Amino acid sequence: MRRVFTALAVLAMAAALVSSGCAGRGAPPTIKIGVNAELTGDIPKVGESCKRAAQMWLADIEAAGGLEVGGKKYKVELFIEDNESKPESAAAAATKLITQDEVLAIVGPNASKVAIPAGEVCNNQKCPMISPWSTNPRTTKDRPWVFRACFLDDFQGPVVARFVTEEFNFTKAAVLYDVASDYPKGLAEFFKKAWEEIHGPGSVVAFESFVTKDRDFSAQLTKIIASGAEFLFTPQYYDEVPLILKQARELGFDKPVVGSDSWGSAELVKLAGPLSYGCFFSTHYAAAGAKGATKEFIDRFKAKYGEVPDDVAALTWDSMRIVEAAIKAAGKITGDLATDRKAVRDAMAAIKDFDGITGRMTFTEEGDPIKAAVIVKISNTGEFEFYKFVSPK
Amino acid sequence: MTTATPERSPVPDVSGRLTVTRALSLLGGVPFLGWLLGGLAAVLAEYLFGLPLALALGLRRIPVLFGFEVMLKAPRYIPGTLVYLVLVYLIPAALVALATARVTDTLAARLLRSPALSMVVHLALLYASIHLWCGLSDYRYLVGRLALIAVMLTLSLNVVNGYMGEFSCSHPGFMALGAYTASVLTVLFFVEDDVFGAPLLPPALGPFFFPLALVAGGLVAALGALAVAIPSFRARGDYLGVITLAFTFVVKSLFENLEIVGGPRGFMNQPNWAGLPTVFAWTVVCIAVINNFVRSTLGKALNAVRDGEIAAEAMTVDTRRTKIVAFLFAAFWAGVAGGLFAHVVSYINPATFGVQKLAEVLAMVYFGGLNSVIGSIAGGLGLTLFSEALRPLEVWKWVIIPVLLVFVMANRPTGLIAFREFDVMKLLGPRRGRKEGSQNVSAQG
Repeated sequence: MRRVFTALAVLAMAAALVSSGCAGRGAPPTIKIGVNAELTGDIPKVGESCKRAAQMWLADIEAAGGLEVGGKKYKVELFIEDNESKPESAAAAATKLITQDEVLAIVGPNASKVAIPAGEVCNNQKCPMISPWSTNPRTTKDRPWVFRACFLDDFQGPVVARFVTEEFNFTKAAVLYDVASDYPKGLAEFFKKAWEEIHGPGSVVAFESFVTKDRDFSAQLTKIIASGAEFLFTPQYYDEVPLILKQARELGFDKPVVGSDSWGSAELVKLAGPLSYGCFFSTHYAAAGAKGATKEFIDRFKAKYGEVPDDVAALTWDSMRIVEAAIKAAGKITGDLATDRKAVRDAMAAIKDFDGITGRMTFTEEGDPIKAAVIVKISNTGEFEFYKFVSPK
Repeated sequence: MTTATPERSPVPDVSGRLTVTRALSLLGGVPFLGWLLGGLAAVLAEYLFGLPLALALGLRRIPVLFGFEVMLKAPRYIPGTLVYLVLVYLIPAALVALATARVTDTLAARLLRSPALSMVVHLALLYASIHLWCGLSDYRYLVGRLALIAVMLTLSLNVVNGYMGEFSCSHPGFMALGAYTASVLTVLFFVEDDVFGAPLLPPALGPFFFPLALVAGGLVAALGALAVAIPSFRARGDYLGVITLAFTFVVKSLFENLEIVGGPRGFMNQPNWAGLPTVFAWTVVCIAVINNFVRSTLGKALNAVRDGEIAAEAMTVDTRRTKIVAFLFAAFWAGVAGGLFAHVVSYINPATFGVQKLAEVLAMVYFGGLNSVIGSIAGGLGLTLFSEALRPLEVWKWVIIPVLLVFVMANRPTGLIAFREFDVMKLLGPRRGRKEGSQNVSAQG
């Protein structure tokens, strides 16, 4: 027994020496940023884009030799946690980032179903959080510590309605959406409300729904065709839109199909091919025809990862830069986490006219940005082309 | 059915050459009370010296989940973390357990004269350890509660899938019913909410009514369980499995279409009343009640229905009543667990209670062991903590956990600790006394 303990003691001392040597004690304080991303689960592409954009931002900071706050350069560390696209895991990941990794601010989660519980944790623990992509009003509502970088569904619905009215002079709309998924359902309802405000009750002639993972939409599409709608609005994701397009065209629906920001993935064009050419959708930014900082970001992202960044990547990039701006504006890092987090939150809330690659942003009291939406047209070569800006009223 | 496993009498190694065997036999002489003391000592050691020790070993902070979260991300911390684990957990626990073995053994025997007192002492020690351990970090506090809730879910599913031998897929549905009912009640009565308006009762009363809300959630879940219990009179096996799966989808669609509770956007604002003491107390009650249930005559009837329904019927077992009771009972506890879950996360949405949740709970039941309370505790705790610990591996986690499951199933087709009776008194009793007792029994037999 004694020999065992002696051996353990020796081992302990050796390990202590080795690891304290490695850990580099006495290093200057670092700024830690958390990323709470959907790396596994049902939308891994979203998490991947988020992670890539965040890492690209980190590479920039490292290339600059650190983040300069109050005339002093700090090393930045990124903590990326997987939230599995599950509410309880998102809460656990946020708690871990806040209490274990002791991050100064958190970027993410992206999807609302995970951003809401993570926001609850961040708000209770008083750690600033910014969600790049969550569009549910409740993510930030009554939570002074939670922000977002994208516009909300109740803004996007009317934007699409106004755009179609002005562009095509249509009066009869059809909607096809997933009733079991929060984002499409919310957007479909906001669109319907806005459309009927412009064209009167009953102008949405078909309001058809399906359930997540349905792959056959012929019944709904047949009804839509029979209803005499002049166009179809379908706020669905990239895995469903190609199927909807294909089945609609096969059934003889030759009218325009309009989408929302959930279309903004390179996968959509890959899957739908020429069927998607000429379609319009509202989104946060347009990759093709971009200028200035947006173009620079797109080119660098493309060079690094071999694909055009989607809206999650662009919004994550903006979120990271908002965090960066807030830290800089906070002026100094005291080393006391609670003080620093408060300073960063206040600085973030005070941000005015932040020049992001997805538009110019100013936060409202709820932590939601006021920014313009972009209408994108899918070109005949399958690129997302900037068509026009639609500003908030 | 379970038979008393023959005791392997730990004969002390006379020759003294094989120290390992001797150490093991020494450990075998420590009663459960001793291990609880050992555990408490380890947790106390961490509480008192954890941080300075971790810093001295070159770590940044206390390794929260047994060091997995550190070691998987930064391999350079592996030696320091391992030493920390040995110094803080292994050595204090083993030393205290061994040093007090004689005292605790006598004490355990004394305490057993009053089983209720013995239970209270053991539970108090167990809770103290968990409380201290979870108290060191909010992350542990959250993960610990989720793990206890997983134990309740696993155990209640085991009643149907293990003890009664039906493949039920309706647990996420029961959980959703309980979660939504409890949430609506607490939010309606005690929280200022956009949908339900001002609280109907003073919020200060809330924590006292919380158990009632949970029970109501359990009862609604049990009511819902009638929808699968009645078809189970006629359908069995795969066919019943499909019915139960359909039930989960029906419940999920129901909440997706109920605008008043947020539809697919989910329901939030649940007050934060499911703290560690609450969750622990409910888990203990759940384990105690289910353990007594499965060891009762009615519980044995479950096994009879599983092993041969016609034979059971012939032997005067009321199979219909047995099935109804099993389903309602399991659903009740799943509902309570759902209510607790909703108040831990403070947000629920219908998508949470889908096929993924089902897969998780089923994995816990079959990993832990069918027809076994201990197995369910092991499965629920083990898989929750393990899956949390492997989070840094991201996608690889979903390779490792399934492979582990396949490995366990290949070697132990019914799970890790299957078909084992959980005799609490035997567990709490002294080791030496029990040895003699079991020898007496075998001598008589």
